[in-house]
Amino acid sequence: MLEVTELRGGYGDLVVLHDLSLSVGKGEIVALLGPNGHGKSTLLKAISGVHPATGGSILLDGEQLRGLPAHEIVERGIAYISEERDLFTEMTVFENLVLGAYGPRGRPHLDRNLQRAYELFPRLADRRSQRCATLSGGEARMVAIARGLMSGAEVLLVDEPSIGLSPALKRTVYEAIRHINDDLGITVLLVEQELEYALDLAARVYVLKHGRVLFERSAAEIESTEVREAYF
Amino acid sequence: MATVVSGLTLGSLYAAMAVGLTIVYGVSHVFNFAHGHVAVLGAYVAWLVLGTGLGFGAGIVAGSAAAVAVMVVFGWGLYRLAIRRLLTRDGWQFATLLFTLGLAILMQYLLLQAFGPRVKSIPTFTDGSVLLWFGRVGIHQLIVLLLSVALIAAVGLFLQRTATGQAMRAVSLSVPGARIVGINVERIFAYTFAFAFAVTGLSGILLGSTVFMTPHIGWEWMIKGFIIITFGGLGRIQGAVVAAFFLGLVEAFVTLYAGSLWIWPAWLSLFVIALMVRPQGIMAGRAA
Repeated sequence: MLEVTELRGGYGDLVVLHDLSLSVGKGEIVALLGPNGHGKSTLLKAISGVHPATGGSILLDGEQLRGLPAHEIVERGIAYISEERDLFTEMTVFENLVLGAYGPRGRPHLDRNLQRAYELFPRLADRRSQRCATLSGGEARMVAIARGLMSGAEVLLVDEPSIGLSPALKRTVYEAIRHINDDLGITVLLVEQELEYALDLAARVYVLKHGRVLFERSAAEIESTEVREAYF
Repeated sequence: MATVVSGLTLGSLYAAMAVGLTIVYGVSHVFNFAHGHVAVLGAYVAWLVLGTGLGFGAGIVAGSAAAVAVMVVFGWGLYRLAIRRLLTRDGWQFATLLFTLGLAILMQYLLLQAFGPRVKSIPTFTDGSVLLWFGRVGIHQLIVLLLSVALIAAVGLFLQRTATGQAMRAVSLSVPGARIVGINVERIFAYTFAFAFAVTGLSGILLGSTVFMTPHIGWEWMIKGFIIITFGGLGRIQGAVVAAFFLGLVEAFVTLYAGSLWIWPAWLSLFVIALMVRPQGIMAGRAA
């Protein structure tokens, strides 16, 4: 479904992605592992067009995405949920969710997707008229994920959804992602630092190092020792 | 009490004028030094249309429509042809400041060439006055107050209720957030310039009917707008509106008790005091 080939990118003179290639099948959950600063977040930003890649190709069902602006990529059905969340903090939860359906892809299904978001995270229904600046870290994370789904995406790119959350909230977030994948049929590409959570969710794992794929394994085959080695 | 009414009228005019400046700043972080001249240009466009021999009623409606049309094209074109290019560079903040400053000077001299240095004004809507419980008030003044408040309310409704207005607020709060929900940020910038310039042009007509216009007065309006939006917390519309009414009232009372020579000293000293006491603006820390 999503085919990334020899992707190059970085920030100014700093090259972060060196000919990185990977693929994600329809309906899969794939996790990206690897040390910080080795290209995981940069890869998601490149796919979503938020920080465009400088070379290589990104195909979604055979259609080239590289070079398209971010809003066009949202229209093609890819939603990116950044680690920083990037919420509109002075707006309410409801307004944030409505903006998630801003484009022509999401707008016709606004009511249905709003309903779906509140079912996914019932707590957001209670908080719908609250300003996002006043939410807890966990709730803000829920808004970010729910807002991403409002566009009617078929592929969700999630950057460290559980970072900084308590174990209970981590579980809530992971159950939501599993539900998004199982019941809504949405493909997920996920950056996760914690191996345990990554293996629990994902069918396949890519380990990145120095902006390249170090290796790829199915979750069943992977040895925690080889992942640990990648970090040193 | 009559002074309060004239203070509120001035305040509403200043608020209507400053709203466009604060919208452009809030969304694009471009501070537009040519803002006052944009307002004056709107007034001159209406003045031209009024001079074509239409009656006053039809003329002011047609003139306002013409001003809106000119301003939409001007704002949109300015963004597409110039500001957009400047924003992609390093040091865009300084580049856009210098650019709009140069534009202000250019507009001033073009207006001078086109209209000459003589003072002009939009005719008052009506000369009558009405006796209220505290004394006589010009009907024109009340109409201007009403129209300015209606203009500000319309801007508020647009930003709250329409999809484009919501997107403008979203961009002003987080550009990365706006990109990831699929907002075409560059297009929203262009809409913002067009929309804010149209509002500013209309406010210029109201100002031109109450005070007067010359090719140079744009500087005064821009500086007043700058003080208002700094007072109100940069980019915060409610703050700017409150600040405009406050400064309008101050101006009315200073004129009454000390004379109009003291208007600028009063504005500027309040500005300096506000910067020292609350540099974040009077409304900072509250909801936008």
